[in-house]
Amino acid sequence: MNIKITYGWLRDYLETDASVYEIQKYLSLCGPSVERVEKLGDDYVMDIEITSNRIDSASVLGIAQECQAILPMFGKTARLKLNPLTHYRLGQTTTKNKSLTVQAPAELCSRFCAVVIDRVSIKPSPTLIQRRLTSCGIKAINNVVDISNYLMLALGQPVHTFDYDKIGGTTMQLRLSHPGEQITTLDGKTIELPGDDIVIEDGQGKLIDLCGIMGALNSAISPSTKRVLLFVQTYNKNKIRRTSMLTGQRTVAATFFEKGLDEERVGPTMAYGMELFKKNAFGQPSSPIIDIYPKTYQPVRITIAPPDFDRIIGVSLKPKLIEQILTRLGFAVKFAMNQFTVTVPSWRQYDVAIKEDVVEEVARVNGYFNLPNVLQPIALVKRDPEMERLFVYQNQIKIFLKHLGLNEVINYSMVSAAQIGKLNLDLTDHLELNNTVSEEIKYLRTTLAPSLAKNIEENTGKYQTLRLFEIGKTYVRRSRGLPNEHYRLGIAVNTDYFDLKGMIEALFTELNLTKISYGPTKLVFLNQNCRMEINLGKQAVGFIGQIGRSAVFVAELDFEKLTESASILPIYQPVNQYAEIKLDWTVSLTPSRSYQSLVDAVQAHSRWLNRVELISLYRDKATLRLYFSASDRNLTEKEAKQELETIKTATESL
Amino acid sequence: MDEIDRLLDQAQTEIGRCTEPDQINAIEIAWLGRHGKINQLLQKIKNVPDDARKTYGQKLNRLKTAITRQLADQRQRLNKQTDKTPFIDLTLPGTPYPKGSLHLITIAVEEISRIFEKIGFVRVSYPEVEWEYYSFASLNMPKGHPARDDFETSFIKAPADPTYGKMLLTPHTSSGQNREMRRLHGQPPIRMINIAKCYRPNWDATHTPMFFQCEGLCVDKGINISNLKGTLNYFAKEYFGADREIRLRPHHFQFTEPSFEVDVSCNLCHGRGTINGKKCKVCKSGWLELGGTGMVHPHVLKEGGVDPEVYSGWAFGCGIERIIMMKYGIDDIRYYYNGDLRFLKKF
Repeated sequence: MNIKITYGWLRDYLETDASVYEIQKYLSLCGPSVERVEKLGDDYVMDIEITSNRIDSASVLGIAQECQAILPMFGKTARLKLNPLTHYRLGQTTTKNKSLTVQAPAELCSRFCAVVIDRVSIKPSPTLIQRRLTSCGIKAINNVVDISNYLMLALGQPVHTFDYDKIGGTTMQLRLSHPGEQITTLDGKTIELPGDDIVIEDGQGKLIDLCGIMGALNSAISPSTKRVLLFVQTYNKNKIRRTSMLTGQRTVAATFFEKGLDEERVGPTMAYGMELFKKNAFGQPSSPIIDIYPKTYQPVRITIAPPDFDRIIGVSLKPKLIEQILTRLGFAVKFAMNQFTVTVPSWRQYDVAIKEDVVEEVARVNGYFNLPNVLQPIALVKRDPEMERLFVYQNQIKIFLKHLGLNEVINYSMVSAAQIGKLNLDLTDHLELNNTVSEEIKYLRTTLAPSLAKNIEENTGKYQTLRLFEIGKTYVRRSRGLPNEHYRLGIAVNTDYFDLKGMIEALFTELNLTKISYGPTKLVFLNQNCRMEINLGKQAVGFIGQIGRSAVFVAELDFEKLTESASILPIYQPVNQYAEIKLDWTVSLTPSRSYQSLVDAVQAHSRWLNRVELISLYRDKATLRLYFSASDRNLTEKEAKQELETIKTATESL
Repeated sequence: MDEIDRLLDQAQTEIGRCTEPDQINAIEIAWLGRHGKINQLLQKIKNVPDDARKTYGQKLNRLKTAITRQLADQRQRLNKQTDKTPFIDLTLPGTPYPKGSLHLITIAVEEISRIFEKIGFVRVSYPEVEWEYYSFASLNMPKGHPARDDFETSFIKAPADPTYGKMLLTPHTSSGQNREMRRLHGQPPIRMINIAKCYRPNWDATHTPMFFQCEGLCVDKGINISNLKGTLNYFAKEYFGADREIRLRPHHFQFTEPSFEVDVSCNLCHGRGTINGKKCKVCKSGWLELGGTGMVHPHVLKEGGVDPEVYSGWAFGCGIERIIMMKYGIDDIRYYYNGDLRFLKKF
């Protein structure tokens, strides 16, 4: 989150010789990032990023505290001249009028503080307050509402004000909401509560506050308000976040409360608030201060030795410097027996718990830019050969396919029910997302085919020829445990089956995979007249075919099985010195005598056959060219012809 | 006019008629070759009367010199003439060969992997569909942490595991940290680079519900912040250029302590934030945010079976899309994963 404060306001608390730009530079290096500085009149607005663990610094005071620690490291003076945490003390009022009957369970509200302020006159705030609020992006409304906003910016503790006379039965019951309860908040929105939200019900059964998020309209301050209930609390942060997210009410107050606030700051905020009421609205407290704070802060102590700092930071820091930095940050430090005992201030209680947290404080204020750049020594790490193979071949295959002219795509791992339905796949085979931002990405894909088919469809018309590939994971549900996550290689084209088959065969050659064969498949989304299973040895490794009657042809291969058998070089065959004899043979192809079965048979029946090539095809007549040679002598043409006759006889029965 | 003058005349005519270099070569052989006319005349010198022999020889020599010169002249003339063969435009394109393309992510992933491989890092691959434990609890993000709610993470409809919790799509590559520590049985050295798909339920102009992250993890004895700085400095210089610098700024992540954000100096203004007195258009005050990083939280080491009293480590994570944007200035992420070839074919 970001906050805006002004330089002038900062100097209410901080005495420094640093300019606003120096503060911007030094704080960004060692603390919160000051993302922008903007001159506004005679003041400067600083826009500052606050990390989620440092909500304590999200205020003028918080930034002043950071400045006090950081600026001296750059030779600048910086001193908290007014520390509101010690300056404003919550005393007690003199009145004995009873204000409220309160029920506030500690697990929902760790500190509950409230007081009635009487005889308030509603009017505009003093100019300085108006100007500061406006500079920080908050609209000035009237003196009462402005006090709550001013307190929040000054101290980082959101504050609420009720019209005391609108609280029915002068009773507040802080409780969890029931699902479906309704509340109309200050902004006029009526919200149906999800249930388990922290709310306050008054004595008449109305909800008057959606705690930590926004008050209800029914108890809001109005121009006729006379008695104000000033209200400062800390809440269960998880409940606040949940309600804020579920109701969509992302108020500034919620972004504070959901990070967990320091209970100890409630008191000073209350005291400061009462002072402001007196000054700006002539209000006088007319009730005792209600303060329900059952579990007070017990300071955490951490012991840490100088070498702990050196070990993590990588350079040695003087104990004196360590002590200085921590003290300026508000930690109490004792150094004895070569060991620091560091007491964590209340506002850092949710952030600093272990040694490493203390090291971080010192290291950052000392400045990371002061540390040298030192590469750690090289080490030999035990590798997983399977993972290694995956990456080596992934790269090799991608480059190969690119050079064949294919375009690589990377698709979402999730597909829509419509995409799955289009391919006649079973929806229940797919893992489903619980919370998806779009129906387009609701199911984890079990094959790359739906994604690739969509790619071809959506690019049709943009280019005449489409040839795409993707290497990505598929996720196949198992009866228990995580799904089978496997890399697969998919290729899709809008040309024809043999164009596609040629490409995957070129890939097999590139990977020196020789034991490839094609068999029948029953894959439902492929056209029954144009679909084949691809086998490597006896193992099915993928499929190829036409998607239904569409113009999309797709092949998919199990990437892991493929690369398991791949090799960089083919098995070496010495150069044959003897003559090779070529003979052509024209033969009819039939369903039972396919090209593949012919080649298999031919290879099985000849000791001299080197290779077979398809020379031409006319209807069902294929002309094959057979290359014969012996490894120990020159074959005669007669011998080769005899060999071919033997082959012909042997394949006649196919 | 004696015979030799007549011969010179004849040679001149023949040479003058030549239009091709080959013709000149033929004339050269016919006149000056070993069995050429000059040599034949030279052999006739023995039939010349003694008193005329000297003059005859001198005349022959002059003839030879004259022919030689004229051959050379004619050659030069021919070379100067333009070629008479039919016009071929040599600037026409060659035979077209297919040009495919790789996805931008693939290109970046390869570049990054190679850079880290050189300093001994090992690339790994871990599940994208993960248990809550690996994505959160093992990373010091206990139940109730904001990142764990379903505004930030996509969960899967599947039975939860009694030990590891709900099934989800990992929202970051950091889930690989615990897996890598366990793969090595809690025994450093660990030098991991994990580049993978991550998922978050967020889809708008600047977010895609799937994206790529790169995670570095280094655990060993005596690893400190200076090592982290050294590695990131090395990476930034290798990937973005030798003139680039890095800086760490304090930040907060649950799984590192201390935590930083790492910035790389802007290539346009070189970290100054201004160019000729004007604000740099590319960067935020001279620096570009690269990613998140920090020293591995002791809790994270413990969960991975690594003894935090003996070992320490750093971790680093950044978005690949962002790195590509920073290096190549391409920020049209909406085209990354929708398969639009008008975009993909460009690379």
